[in-house]
Amino acid sequence: MYGQRFPPGGTNVENDTMTSRAPSAAFTGLAAASLDQADLARILLALPFGVAVLDRERRMLFMNGVLERLTGFASAEVSGVPCRHVLRGSFCLHACPRVACAKSGDPACGGESLEGTLINRHRRKVPVRLTSVPVLDAAGALLCSLDVIEDLSALKELEARLTRTAGPGAIVGRCSVMEHLLRILPAVAASDSTVLLTGESGTGKDLLAEALHRASPRARESFVRVNATPMPEALLDVELFGQAGGAGEQNAPRPGKFQLAQNGTLYLSEIADMPLAQQGRLLRLLDEKAVVPAGGERPMRLNVRVVAATGRDPEALVKAGLLREDLFHRLNAVRLHLPPVRERGEDVQFLLTHFLGLYAAKFRKQVLGFSEAAVALLSAYDYPGNVRELRNIVEYAVMVCPGELVGPEHLPPYLRSAPAEVHGDDPVVKTAAERAKHSRKKA
Amino acid sequence: MATKILLTLYRDEVAPRFDLASEVLLVIVDADNREVRRQELVLAHANADELCDLILDREVDVLITGGMEEEHYHYLRWKRLTVLDGVAGLAEEALARFLRGELESGDILFPRGQHA
Repeated sequence: MYGQRFPPGGTNVENDTMTSRAPSAAFTGLAAASLDQADLARILLALPFGVAVLDRERRMLFMNGVLERLTGFASAEVSGVPCRHVLRGSFCLHACPRVACAKSGDPACGGESLEGTLINRHRRKVPVRLTSVPVLDAAGALLCSLDVIEDLSALKELEARLTRTAGPGAIVGRCSVMEHLLRILPAVAASDSTVLLTGESGTGKDLLAEALHRASPRARESFVRVNATPMPEALLDVELFGQAGGAGEQNAPRPGKFQLAQNGTLYLSEIADMPLAQQGRLLRLLDEKAVVPAGGERPMRLNVRVVAATGRDPEALVKAGLLREDLFHRLNAVRLHLPPVRERGEDVQFLLTHFLGLYAAKFRKQVLGFSEAAVALLSAYDYPGNVRELRNIVEYAVMVCPGELVGPEHLPPYLRSAPAEVHGDDPVVKTAAERAKHSRKKA
Repeated sequence: MATKILLTLYRDEVAPRFDLASEVLLVIVDADNREVRRQELVLAHANADELCDLILDREVDVLITGGMEEEHYHYLRWKRLTVLDGVAGLAEEALARFLRGELESGDILFPRGQHA
C-alpha cells in the first residue's frame, strides 16, 4: 500500500494530502528500521504485561518491570536462576510448555496459553496466563524463549462477581414448587417484563426480587426498594417521582426512587400500600416510560424495570378497591407465587439443615444437626412467619446449643409448649445429622 | 535434643512451591547437628493442607521450602515451626547451609549473574 496513489476523482482534500506526502521507502525488513540492532531489553521494559527472557536451559536472562512487580524479584538478582524458582507457576513443574517442546523435538512448538497461578515473593498467589514463545535463529535452532505473563487478578475477580450476580442469590428450596420457581427464574430475569410477586410475609419476596435483579441484564445497575409506607401524598409523590428544581438552594432538584433506579430495577415491596393516586401515576409511567417530577413540566425519560410484591391476594385487593385493576393487569405480566412454609412439605427439613449449616459456620460452633425430638417439634409447627421465622428459630437454637445436636430444650419456649409425636426412625433426621457430620469431616 | 527438618523436593532441588510438592525429605539431626536419620516420602498428591497435616503429625521443627502462600506460612509459624520459605537451590545445599546456621528465607543458592 505504501507509495500507492489515489486515482483522480477523489476529493481535493484527499488528493492534496496524499500528494503532499513524501514517497515511502521500499520495505526491507527489520534491518531497515535497525530493529535487528534494537535494545530488546529496553523495548520489553515498556510493555504493559510481564515478560521474561529465558535461555535454552530455561534460566532467567531478563525480566521486565511488570514481571518484576508481579513476582517481587528484581531482574538482576535472579539472572541465571531456573525460571521455575522465580515464576513459581502452577504450570512450571508438570506442564512447562518448553519442556514439552523439548521432549517433542520441535523447538518451534508452543505459543499456546496456559492459565494457572504463581506465588510471588510476598507469599501472594496470583492468577496468571502464560504464553511461552520460542525465539529461533535462521536455521530453526532455539536461541531463547519469551515468556509472557499476564496478571489475571482483575479478570478473575470480575468473573467471580459476575458468577455471584448470575446465581439465584439466597433463595433455596427442594420442593417441587420452589424447584419450578428456581428453574424459571433465569428466564424471567432475562426478560424485561414487570413482575408481580405474591406470597405471605416471610416467604422470601424481597429475596426473590433481588435475585431477579441480580440475574437480569440490569444487574450492574441499581436495585431500589420502595416501601410505600403511609405518608402525605405530596411527599410520597416527591419520594417516588422526584422534584423538579426551582430557584434557590432549598429548591434544588431531588431525584425520586424511579430516577435513582434508572437503567436498573425498582422494587415496590407492598403495592397495596400505595395510594390510588400514585398507582395511577405508576401506571402512566409503565405505559409511557416517562415521568414528570413534582413541580416540573417536562417529562423525564425513564428506563426502569418494575417488580412489585404483595402479601395479600391481588384479586381480592382489586375487588376491595385497594389496587387499581388496570395497574394490576399491567403488573401481572409475570406472576410468581412463593408458597408458605406449611405448604412446602419436605422443604422444612431442608431449610432446617440449610440454616443450621449457615449459623453453625457464622457462630463458629460444631452444631451438626437436630435431635429426633427437636425435628419432631419443628416439623409439627406451621410457621406463620414462614422462612423468616424458621430461620430465626434455627439461629436461636444454634446460638444456645452447647453441643453437637440441637434438642427441644434449645428451641424457643413457645415451640415447646405443644409437644409433638417423636418419630424415632425418621430417615430425614438421620440424613440431616449424617450430612452435617460428613461435611464437617470434609472441612 | 533432636531436630526434625523437612525439605519439600522437586527432583534434587527444594520444591519451588510448597503447595505443589509431592516429595519431601525428612532429616533428623542431633544436638550437634549431626544427621541421625533421613527419610524420603512420596506423597499421594500435592496438597498444601495435607502437607501441613503431615508436618504437624511428624512433629517437624523446621520447614525448608520454596514459595508458599501467606496462609500456610502463618499457620505453621503459629504452630511454632521455623519456616524458611522462598529458598531456591539444591536440597542438599540448602540443608547443609541450614545446619551451618547460614540459611534464611528467600535465599537463592543457584549460581547467578552469568547471563546478565
